[in-house]
Amino acid sequence: MELLDRYLQAVKKHLPWKRQDDIIAELRANLEAQLEDKEAALGRPLTQGETEDWLRQIGAPIQVAARYLPQQYLIGPALFPTYWFVLRLAFMWSMIIYAIVSAVLIATQSPNGTAFLEAVLRVPGILIQVAAWVTLIFAVIEFAAAHYPEKCPEIAGVTTQWSPSTLPPLEREDADGKKPRHFSHAVAEVVFGYIFLIWLLLIPHYPYLLLGPGAYYLHGSPFQLAPFWVTFYWAVVGLNVLQLGWRSVDLARGAWQKPPRLQHIVMSAFGLIPLGLLLTVRDQVYVTLTHPALDQARYGGTVDSMNKAIHLGVLVVLAIAVLSLAWEIGQMRMGAYRKRAAGMR
Amino acid sequence: MTVTDNVFENLRLELRRGCLTLAVLAQLRQEHYGYTLRKALAERGLEIDESTLYPLLRRLETQGLLESEWREEDKRNKRFYHLSGDGQRIFGQLLGEWRAINASIDNIL
Repeated sequence: MELLDRYLQAVKKHLPWKRQDDIIAELRANLEAQLEDKEAALGRPLTQGETEDWLRQIGAPIQVAARYLPQQYLIGPALFPTYWFVLRLAFMWSMIIYAIVSAVLIATQSPNGTAFLEAVLRVPGILIQVAAWVTLIFAVIEFAAAHYPEKCPEIAGVTTQWSPSTLPPLEREDADGKKPRHFSHAVAEVVFGYIFLIWLLLIPHYPYLLLGPGAYYLHGSPFQLAPFWVTFYWAVVGLNVLQLGWRSVDLARGAWQKPPRLQHIVMSAFGLIPLGLLLTVRDQVYVTLTHPALDQARYGGTVDSMNKAIHLGVLVVLAIAVLSLAWEIGQMRMGAYRKRAAGMR
Repeated sequence: MTVTDNVFENLRLELRRGCLTLAVLAQLRQEHYGYTLRKALAERGLEIDESTLYPLLRRLETQGLLESEWREEDKRNKRFYHLSGDGQRIFGQLLGEWRAINASIDNIL
């Protein structure tokens, strides 16, 4: 009996104090009656081992007590879908804002690899903080809805307060049979876009980020890049900022499912600008000698060959880009024609 | 326990949950205290753990389906339960629902 008393005492500790005496009195009466039946069937008292087995079979005190408590949720099933949706949105926007702020701070204050690494290492901490705040807010809402349903019926009935007319439009495949992009795809595109931009902004200070070990060879070589490349670099940065801004706005407007073909064409057209700039380089000098007076005789011919090869490469790439753009425009016009024709049927 | 066993166990518990309530309400058309109710159900083939049955009685009483009173029996104070008026009405409705589901399942099978 001492073991049963200890068991009941342990159960009592996990019960709400208002009801614990009543529940324990009832449980004691039931368990004692059960024990008496067992002992009558055996014709002797239960041994210590048998009593332990019996109590073990009833369950651990904390679990037995838990059955008497109302079901409790940090965030219940009615609220969870909303919580999950908001959490994903919060993750996305915190990362976008953090990436923009970090990019600006790194570029303007301390553009170096350490700052970039520190910014990346801060990401898990920020995500945990965002998750903690969102979870806390929803836990409070859940608590209020569970304990004061009459004061916040709109929260309790959050899943019933919707209208079918607010549903997003049907996801149709486009004329090429391509499916609309997934939300996570669009978010990843924007986040990685910002990471790429940070990387791009760090390149002038850390050329090894682009060239790897080749940066050190270039530093000690008799060749150097012509000053024009700075203009080209900023044109590429500008193009990336424009593209990223456009994608961010699409994401914010909820128009990320299917970016319009026109947007793709405009971005392709802007992409021609840096390539076009490469053709305007005076005398097609892309690479020069670091010390012309010393190395002209030895490397002059090599530099000329390199510049001609780069110029030819730029021409080929530009030709491909122009053809690709023309193809895109043709496809867009064809699509528009088909749509008009389908509308006339 | 394999994943399949786990799935089966969860589904089995889900299936039993509603049936247990119905069985308890049915049995409490006659007055019982916790232990004799458990024995009566077991004698009719329905074993229920103590840790499931006793809290269930409390919940059903809170919901107004059962009424209870403390009374001395065999020199021991016991809490006796029986169906309340609302309990009888809801038990009738649940029984109808259960019979309809049972008949439907039989038809499907």
